[in-house]
Amino acid sequence: MIKLEPEILQAVEKPARYTGHELNAVHKDWDEVDCHFALAMADTYEVGMSNLGLKILYEVLNNRQDTACERVYAPWTDMEAIMRERSIPLFSLESFTEIKKFDFLGFTLQYEMIYSNILNMLDLAGIPIWTKDRSDVDPFIVGGGPTVYNTEPIADFFDFFILGEGEEVISEVAKTFVKWKREGKPGGRKGFLKEVAKLEGIYVPSFYNVKYNEKGYFSSIEPKEPEARAKIYKRVIKDLDSVHFVEKPVMPYIGIVHDRIMLELFRGCTRGCRFCQAGTSYRPIRERSREYLRELARKLVDSSGYNEMSLTSLSSADYSCLGELVDDLFADFEGEKVSFSLPSLRIDSFSIDLAHKMQQVRKSGLTFAPEAGTQRLRDVINKGVTEENLMTAVEAAFKQGWKQVKLYFMMGLPTETDEDIVGIARLAEKVARKYKEVKGKWGVTVTISVSCFVPKPHTPFQWFGQLPKDEFERRQRLLKDSITERAVKFHYHDARVSVLEGAISRGDRRISQVIYQAWKDGAKFDGWTDLFKEDVWHEAFRKCGIDMKEYSERTRDFDEPLPWEHTTPGVSKDFLKREWNKAVAEQLTEDCRRGKCSGCGVCPSLKVDIVDWKRKEGEVKANV
Amino acid sequence: MYKYRAQLTKGDEIRYISHLDYAGVMERAIRRAKLPAAYTEGFNPHLKMSFASPLSLGVTSDAEYMDFELTKPLCQPEIFDKLSAALPPGIRLIKLKPVKEPKPCEGKKHKALMAEVEQGIYEVVAPLTGDWDEAVKAVAAYNAASEVNYHRVTPKKTRDIEVKQYMLEPVKIGMSGDWVKLTMNISITQTGSIKPVEILELLHNEYGLPVALGRALINRSKLMGQGKDLIDLV
Ligand code: SF4
Repeated sequence: MIKLEPEILQAVEKPARYTGHELNAVHKDWDEVDCHFALAMADTYEVGMSNLGLKILYEVLNNRQDTACERVYAPWTDMEAIMRERSIPLFSLESFTEIKKFDFLGFTLQYEMIYSNILNMLDLAGIPIWTKDRSDVDPFIVGGGPTVYNTEPIADFFDFFILGEGEEVISEVAKTFVKWKREGKPGGRKGFLKEVAKLEGIYVPSFYNVKYNEKGYFSSIEPKEPEARAKIYKRVIKDLDSVHFVEKPVMPYIGIVHDRIMLELFRGCTRGCRFCQAGTSYRPIRERSREYLRELARKLVDSSGYNEMSLTSLSSADYSCLGELVDDLFADFEGEKVSFSLPSLRIDSFSIDLAHKMQQVRKSGLTFAPEAGTQRLRDVINKGVTEENLMTAVEAAFKQGWKQVKLYFMMGLPTETDEDIVGIARLAEKVARKYKEVKGKWGVTVTISVSCFVPKPHTPFQWFGQLPKDEFERRQRLLKDSITERAVKFHYHDARVSVLEGAISRGDRRISQVIYQAWKDGAKFDGWTDLFKEDVWHEAFRKCGIDMKEYSERTRDFDEPLPWEHTTPGVSKDFLKREWNKAVAEQLTEDCRRGKCSGCGVCPSLKVDIVDWKRKEGEVKANV
Repeated sequence: MYKYRAQLTKGDEIRYISHLDYAGVMERAIRRAKLPAAYTEGFNPHLKMSFASPLSLGVTSDAEYMDFELTKPLCQPEIFDKLSAALPPGIRLIKLKPVKEPKPCEGKKHKALMAEVEQGIYEVVAPLTGDWDEAVKAVAAYNAASEVNYHRVTPKKTRDIEVKQYMLEPVKIGMSGDWVKLTMNISITQTGSIKPVEILELLHNEYGLPVALGRALINRSKLMGQGKDLIDLV
């Protein structure tokens, strides 16, 4: 058991990050269970504690009699320095046990820029960084989460990955482990990996041979163990009402990023935005029932004491019974002073009315995501939103009293020209002027937040070469100079980080060497702008003899094998190609939620169906 | 409105949470307890609750006081049990009393909880690193001094504080195992006070008290007004 002296805790920022004992945390007797699972996020306590997936898995694992699940997050740099100086190993927040003693250490892979932190945590735990160096005394290192659809850049650091939704499979993993352990651990470490590889959705990277061609490009990946599948499909929950959702969230003593209840209405989004990886990787749409959500909301308010609830999903306003659900919740919590919010709004007046209803008096800002500045480019990315939609929505919002609007855009999308960039400024200005028109005076703030587009695996833009950093920066300046209205404020992302993300997210196994080198040379918390060390990363690529631009800027051939195709969310390459062709032809694709199936392949290949409580039965059937 | 005063602890588990976080934790506990709590008006309603003197980060307490209001009068045992059951690890409810507001004819209302605080008693324990005699001498010298200055540095300003004006009694020293135990009785005024950790620092740095400062633990054992525990003022 790790005990931290007062002088350590007095010396660090936010010591309660490291002291545990939260309400609803689960404490089990270490010797009473067979399987010890540490769930980790390679980011701060405040970020990690806000992650919904971890909350769910924590409860799923702890609901098993044979398993104890505990939490661990990345210590902040001040704490890390002390831990290194005093040789304090990374520990869990429940029993303060050394992480190295656990059977599993599972990381949620939220974004590429936390990879260096993962290595840092392994190192702080005293666990060998490379999979090949681990022995029977080390935990199995597991990864799952959004970036799992290209795990090759970190494949050599992990024992196995879980693809897709984890509620069912994580329990299968624990069960497999307990069985293997009780049988006397036949075959040792590899013996267990062979067993776990048999489960659907599990990818054991060390069971494959990777080949590269004479040009140095990835050419193939093939199983070398009989248990390994040639292609691994994600796991998907067919009926979300049938699996466990958070009921007793661990309650932090200090403020965290999302310090409220998160009620997940549904999974999947089939609006079909062509840049969006979440859109392809969480398909199809599956809604929880209104009754179940009501029940969950009650349990969560009672067990947490929170007075704020966010109705989360990829596009919450699309929940088929949203109006009714909100009415139910208002009735259920009348007099309890619970406030509800939607994390993102659809660009239409239904959403505005709903938001108005939810935020009776307090009118914080509204957020919309037109994503591109011109209709042409919005058609390219299949963002089915017109300027008129936006104007109608903001008009309704201004009439209801909102004074702050935030608009999200992307820069560097395929086919983008300077005209599209200037279009962002024009659109924002029109929104600002709409306010004047409605209210007869100025007084609005329109904030445009522009990120740098990073092409992602398993999207229609997966072949597209990302813009060079300098070009992003030129376009940022162009946009800045194009804004003439004082009411428009401009925020943009750090292009240096986006191009690195671009290289890593479409990387192959050789990138692990670069990540390792960068971490060795001091990279950590790369997602935190003030800690991001651009030079270290560039130097790491150079030291490894790898050209970063080959990964970020090179446009891939359609028929070129891609290093992530064997780990798939189920969307077919044909569909992605079709969508690319439609993109350049500026043609739209319908949302399959209510419209016709666009044949992405997910439903037939995963044997799953859309669950939308208001879709007319039999209207849509997936193209098999 | 029906007002109650609670005496609570801040245990070792939550030693390192701030005063503001402690208030947030209590607000959620009252909500979990399903008490008919009274809220402030406005866009962002908050529970009507107030606290006595804030505790420094790292200090535990047996004497945290909170006043809160309910919209219905419930009997004391019911509130006590419901609130106790809803508290997180690290907080215990020791006592609970209704605050009897005097009738208007009886004169002035209760002072705000914060304003009632006049005195705090703290226990400080720290491992002894030298001679016991030396320790006793150091404390005696401090107690004998007529004036002691503490140089307080905060991000905003630095200033010298005369400490002895806040000492209601001489610092007492005792022993438990290898640990020194100091008892400090400190006056808390509207215009200022001195923190036990600051006295400990002075004892160590200026008077040579041989203890391991970095391992010292501080606990507030009492918080008083008019010579009584705050819970007995209602
Ligand atoms: S298979 Fe068809 S219905 Fe299913 S998610 Fe894909 S496009 Fe939609």
